[in-house]
Amino acid sequence: MKGIQQIIRRAALIGGLLAAGTHQAAAQAPQPSLEQLDQKVRILERKLEIQEEEAARKKLENPALTAGKDGFALTSADKAFQLKLRGYVQADGRFFLSDDDEKATDSFLLRRVRPIWEGKLYNDFDFRIMPDFGNGSTVLQDAYLGYTASPAAKLRAGKFKPPFGLERLQSGTDTLFIERAHPTSLGPNRDVGLQLGGDVMGSTVNYAVGVFNGVTDGGSGDGDSNDGKDVVGRVFVTPFKNSDIAALSGLSLGLAASAGDQQGTTTVPGLPAFRSIGQQSFYTYKTSTNAADAVIADGSRVRVSPQAVYYYRAFGLLAEYAQSSQDVTKGARSDTLDNDALLVELSYVLTGEEATYKGVTPAHPFDPKGGTWGAFEVALRYSELNVDDDAFPTYADAKKSAKGTQTVGVGLNWYLNRNLKAQVNVDNSTFDGGAADGDRDDEQALFTRLQISF
Amino acid sequence: MNRVLWLLLSAMLMLPAAYAGQKELTLLNVSYDPTRELYEEVNAAFIQDWAAKTGQAIKINQSHGGSGKQARSVIDGLEADVVTLALAYDIDALHEKANLIPKGWQQRLPDNSAPYTSTIVFVVRKGNPRHIQDWDDLVQPGLSVITPNPKTSGGARWNYLAAWAYGLEMFGGDEARVREFLTKIFKNVPVLDSGARGSTTTFVQRGIGDVLISWENEAFLIRKEFGDDYEIVVPSLSILAEPPVTVVDKVVDRRGTRQVAEAYLNFLYTPQGQEIAARNFYRPRLESVAAKYKSQFTDVKLITIDDVFGGWQKAQQTHFADGGVFDQIFVR
Repeated sequence: MKGIQQIIRRAALIGGLLAAGTHQAAAQAPQPSLEQLDQKVRILERKLEIQEEEAARKKLENPALTAGKDGFALTSADKAFQLKLRGYVQADGRFFLSDDDEKATDSFLLRRVRPIWEGKLYNDFDFRIMPDFGNGSTVLQDAYLGYTASPAAKLRAGKFKPPFGLERLQSGTDTLFIERAHPTSLGPNRDVGLQLGGDVMGSTVNYAVGVFNGVTDGGSGDGDSNDGKDVVGRVFVTPFKNSDIAALSGLSLGLAASAGDQQGTTTVPGLPAFRSIGQQSFYTYKTSTNAADAVIADGSRVRVSPQAVYYYRAFGLLAEYAQSSQDVTKGARSDTLDNDALLVELSYVLTGEEATYKGVTPAHPFDPKGGTWGAFEVALRYSELNVDDDAFPTYADAKKSAKGTQTVGVGLNWYLNRNLKAQVNVDNSTFDGGAADGDRDDEQALFTRLQISF
Repeated sequence: MNRVLWLLLSAMLMLPAAYAGQKELTLLNVSYDPTRELYEEVNAAFIQDWAAKTGQAIKINQSHGGSGKQARSVIDGLEADVVTLALAYDIDALHEKANLIPKGWQQRLPDNSAPYTSTIVFVVRKGNPRHIQDWDDLVQPGLSVITPNPKTSGGARWNYLAAWAYGLEMFGGDEARVREFLTKIFKNVPVLDSGARGSTTTFVQRGIGDVLISWENEAFLIRKEFGDDYEIVVPSLSILAEPPVTVVDKVVDRRGTRQVAEAYLNFLYTPQGQEIAARNFYRPRLESVAAKYKSQFTDVKLITIDDVFGGWQKAQQTHFADGGVFDQIFVR
């Protein structure tokens, strides 16, 4: 029926064209033949057909609202503008074994509840806003805007992670273990400042350098309490990234450092406290409202952190060392205290997927009806933190604060799909000192996590 | 308590090993326009071959379109395990724009990763009423020439470059005259489809045009399907088209399909794969198969992209980049 209609339509068109030709003077010879007119009509029809196909294709290129495993996004047709809604929730369980005197509390908690708004404007400008409602409080974790002049030159201003700690720079959704290890306690968490960074030399070298307010080791800040600023920089090299040597393409080596002058006060001492893997405080500086007895930051703070990762197929290795040297004062006495920390962690994806710094994407997402269960990964780590011996007894009380801690942990990660992850960790930590009668009790922490991220 | 905990952990570690790999594997082959029939046959044979060797069931999905468009889709996120496109330039883009494959991808498989070749011929209507024998016959006034858009179609770029090579020979390398020659040919092109299969539709199903510039394999398919209504004319000079293939490293490593994807491409080089290619009118690389199908393919003088145009990168930049020669000669 459609074919007949088409023939009738074509005949009418040809008739019209012929009629038009007849009306024109015979002087306008030669007149097109019926065959030529038929071709012209066919060409017009085909062009219309192609235009319709093209219009249908372009319709797909109109501003697109997408929803999927990568989150929800509104993107302009030319992709120059985009607004993404992402986020993640981590529901944790914390249980302390052999904790008969119940110094640590077994609990369920919402560790992180973070909606994320991010996007780009005019292709080259980007932004990100990420509050955190976890732990029963509201904190603005990230709020920054960026400008990408080229892949080698990206500017960022606002509050974000300064380029220092390897494990800290890894997203909280991708860490191998539920809680980060000790080197993270010696670097900045989030700070406000300005950063220039990018990828150079065929993306084999990533660099970042910035000026920040300066926060205590492991700390975050929204403002500043003194005029001193920290300069933070990091170079991260993936030398075989573009080579055909598959066994080396996942090797990266880095060096990060920060330097600045920080001045504390009796109310804001500018010094950190250290927590165990089980998130229990095991080291604090002495505090006092009396200026002569208060321990405060007083001058230079220099941090350095060599770091490395290696991923090959299902195997992963992440290693990080950090040292933080801080000038401190108590009354008339001043010292430079050198604290350091180490982490070595290994992982292996049992189901064969590729291990990466950004986690594991299961080849076969969880689908019991289809007989697939996602990806499973096992992990092992050793980490330690050592406080400078000179901290005792002037700046810290050895009966309350441990001189160091050593942690051995094992973990199992279950990636149900790209958005859901379950983790269980067991970490055993020992301490040097920190108790009235010698060493603080060992900490055996069983942590669990259910995580959804999109 | 600790013993119970370790037992629980051990049990959890055992579970994934027991259940891993039970689901049917899938591969996506993103290819260019006229390879539908070829890969339908290849896929069926490889699925059998793989099952016989490994006992594993797989499913292979196909996607077809203009070669350049297909490459852009993969760059934009289409999860192709393998790409089998019309020309190396389109695959190079996967490295340059998205780093999905390494730079030296073309050296990973024999014959520049092109397991079969083809060339460009003419398809004319029964009896060849416009007496088309060679490229210079395409410039005659009033002729209607069907070829797809070189901006989007790999096949169209081969068509264009074959005509250019002929022009270079005809005019002794005088590029101004070659440009004029191409201008006249494209003045005779009434419709630009986005892909080679679209042009076949225009010529065969919509009945438009006097001659279709076509992949050789596509021309044979037209003959096979529509019989004597069409004739194939082989010009005196054409171009050696080498459609290459590669695994998409980032995708296969993420999906855990590298082993089967590599086996799939290697299968194309086996006697069985080469037979299938020849049956689908692609020129096989394997000498024994090429000898068997020798009578199927007409001998024709074939120039190469490297010899005449200095490789795809240069050819693309000169002729098909925005503002290039094609944009200058094809003005509507």
